[in-house]
Amino acid sequence: MESVKTLELRVKQCIINRLGLDVSADEIEDDAPLFGEGLGLDSIDALELVIAIGKEFDVAIGDDDMGIFQSVNRICEFIRTARPEL
Amino acid sequence: MDIQAIQERINQRYPFLLIDRVLEVEPFVRSVAYKNVTINEAFFAGHFPDNPVMPGVLIIESMSQAGAMMYPKAKNGYIAGIDKVKFLGLVRPGDQLVTEAVNIQKAGAFAKVQVTARVDGKDVARAQITYYMEFEEEKE
Repeated sequence: MESVKTLELRVKQCIINRLGLDVSADEIEDDAPLFGEGLGLDSIDALELVIAIGKEFDVAIGDDDMGIFQSVNRICEFIRTARPEL
Repeated sequence: MDIQAIQERINQRYPFLLIDRVLEVEPFVRSVAYKNVTINEAFFAGHFPDNPVMPGVLIIESMSQAGAMMYPKAKNGYIAGIDKVKFLGLVRPGDQLVTEAVNIQKAGAFAKVQVTARVDGKDVARAQITYYMEFEEEKE
């Protein structure tokens, strides 16, 4: 069983790797906005995250779930709901 | 799917309609379409004199139109991103440029496909193309 911390870290590393971001995981706050003024991601990056998060954590992210990309916390919340064992 | 059906699906027209026929469509999964390339194409006059080669940007456009066939008719569709592009061979007059497109992911107004273009079964280009599609306001 993974610790709570590990899932947040895994999500951050997944985002950084997929988008080739020039930041380290500890520079991304769990509740900071990822888009716009936050990490500066755009709507095309969101599609990339659907692919990357979906593959990494084996979850299906539908059109109605796109709101989860507001923050790392929201993404983790979604993953934990879909995959309670993580 | 013939040229009439293609024009019902996408808005590109002469001189920018770069597929002639659709061979296979599995909605949201896969599409295969081709363009017959002839010496009468206007771009061959300058690309290049005495050495006609289809421009890579137009190969990408043809691949993009082929991939768009698997999605429903959008009011407008645009290319939002192109990744991992490789041109592996020259496309010349007389070639039939066949593109196979496979859906990678659709999310909201965006969709991403893996496309491979072939001539005589040999890969001439590969890419991943992201589309942005505008749909009519849905009536509830």
